[in-house]
Amino acid sequence: MTDPSLAVRRLARSFVFKVILVWLVILGCGGLGFSLIRLNVGFIGEWWRFIVYGEGTSDVWRVGLITTVFISVISIIGAIILAFLSALGRLSRNPLAYGISTFYVSLIRGTPLIVQIFILYFGLPQINQQLAKLIPNFEQQFSLLSNLLLLPALPTGILALSLNYGAYMTEVFRAGIQSVSKGQAEAATALGMTPGQTMWRIVLPQAIRIIIPPVGNDFIAMTKDSALVSVIGVQELLWRAQKVGVQNFRSMETLLIAAGIYWVLTIALQAIQSRIEKRLARGDR
Amino acid sequence: MVRITNLHKVFGKLNVLKGISLEVSQREVVCVIGKSGSGKSTLLRSINFLEEPTSGSIEVDGVEVTPALTGRQRKERIHKVRLLTGMVFQDFNLFPHKSVIDNVIEALLIVKKIPRAQAVEIGESFLGKVGLIDKRDEYPARLSGGQKQRVAIARALAMDPKVMLFDEPTSALDPELIGEVINVMEAVANEGMTMIVVTHEISFARDTADRVVYMEDGNIVEEGAPSQIFSVPQDARTQQFLQRYLNGRS
Ligand SMILES: Nc1ncnc2c1ncn2[C@@H]1O[C@H](COP(=O)(O)OP(=O)(O)OP(=O)(O)O)[C@@H](O)[C@H]1O
Ligand SMILES: [Mg+2]
Repeated sequence: MTDPSLAVRRLARSFVFKVILVWLVILGCGGLGFSLIRLNVGFIGEWWRFIVYGEGTSDVWRVGLITTVFISVISIIGAIILAFLSALGRLSRNPLAYGISTFYVSLIRGTPLIVQIFILYFGLPQINQQLAKLIPNFEQQFSLLSNLLLLPALPTGILALSLNYGAYMTEVFRAGIQSVSKGQAEAATALGMTPGQTMWRIVLPQAIRIIIPPVGNDFIAMTKDSALVSVIGVQELLWRAQKVGVQNFRSMETLLIAAGIYWVLTIALQAIQSRIEKRLARGDR
Repeated sequence: MVRITNLHKVFGKLNVLKGISLEVSQREVVCVIGKSGSGKSTLLRSINFLEEPTSGSIEVDGVEVTPALTGRQRKERIHKVRLLTGMVFQDFNLFPHKSVIDNVIEALLIVKKIPRAQAVEIGESFLGKVGLIDKRDEYPARLSGGQKQRVAIARALAMDPKVMLFDEPTSALDPELIGEVINVMEAVANEGMTMIVVTHEISFARDTADRVVYMEDGNIVEEGAPSQIFSVPQDARTQQFLQRYLNGRS
């Protein structure tokens, strides 16, 4: 055995050790600051379960974090479908498909997500109102359209996030599909495959490797952006934190709970993401 | 078996095929030679409609696609023509995400809708023919160029085409791997396959082709038996090409 004090000293000099030290100091300063503003730790301990998963209510495990995750998962699926269709339009030589795709991407990327959420939630009902005035029995006759225009908060939030991320991910899908050499589609076509078969069986499975890493990043970003739908009253994590905080004049405490949960969630998702990426890299042929 | 009539192809302003007519009969092996950019690939790719002809018609085994044909009917005819033709590309174009056997049976499964067990049987028999049955479960990345091209040939043959189209099948290969691919092609020819081969392999053209076609600048300049084209070419342009070509090579 070597001198143990030597090992300790080497550890003390190591980069990782210093970095951990810096983190601890920052957290310590934070804690000190919080004690100066008399942050109520007891309040946090008492309320976090209620905020995060609705403990003690009839909605237990149906609000808060679960809602956040639910919105994110459904929205990323919606975004993937939209991005795929939009990328096909973008790659199409059909002017209608190309036009719709580029218009969609430009409009969505050119406006803030929060504005899109507001338009879908507060703006669309106005259209319903006008149509109801113009068309007798509109809400009965066109109930599907009317229901779409009067979508409740949760589906509206999911729709907004899907539309928004779908537009940003269009480029990812386009690049992924284009990364597959033209010869692949030609070989498939020469074998008698239809354009649909060629896309599903030959091009997409190869494009997926390019597409998965950025979609993973977008999913992580989406879990954080999902907090925006709190503004239309969806009972996700931030909404509950905000509500409890305002009612008890303990906003810092409740917002810290929300921030902490988002942080842990993000770190967990990043760990999963890097695993998937490693696996993809290993399967490289 | 194949009849090309007055085929024109224009890319933008570039006139690549200027009225090609060519007939290939059953069991015939036709080699197409010519300078780079003369339109050889475009001609071949027009036969199975990887390129849409600007004008002219294509007939394969009695299935004719004329410019008058449009819409759904045209699509169906083109699909039929593609089933009647097999194509082998210069850069193989094997599907990298599929094993060798899955490359060979993919179209049998999803285009011909043959049950998997039967498709595997067919696939294995063709892998046997190209001498690669032991590579059945490999992925294309682990094969040599020559092996890749032999799998590509098996993949095309497994669809039971009436005509095989080869676009410079040995041009991407290291010289020592050319022979194994040429051998497979000769075997395919000997079994009576109708073949149109764009190639720079003069030896293959000389030994296996029934007819050699010399193309220049979007036209067929001269055609004839290999013995005639290679030893007593009639057209001055063919003479010049062969002189340069043969001198440059050996
Ligand atoms: N998709 C395309 N768009 C525009 N021009 C093209 C396209 N494909 C081919 N060309 C042009 O058409 C001409 C003929 O090309 P083609 O590939 O048929 O020649 P080739 O005889 O096969 O030549 P090589 O021996 O180099 O393969 C070339 O000038 C080429 O640049
Ligand atoms: Mg060519």
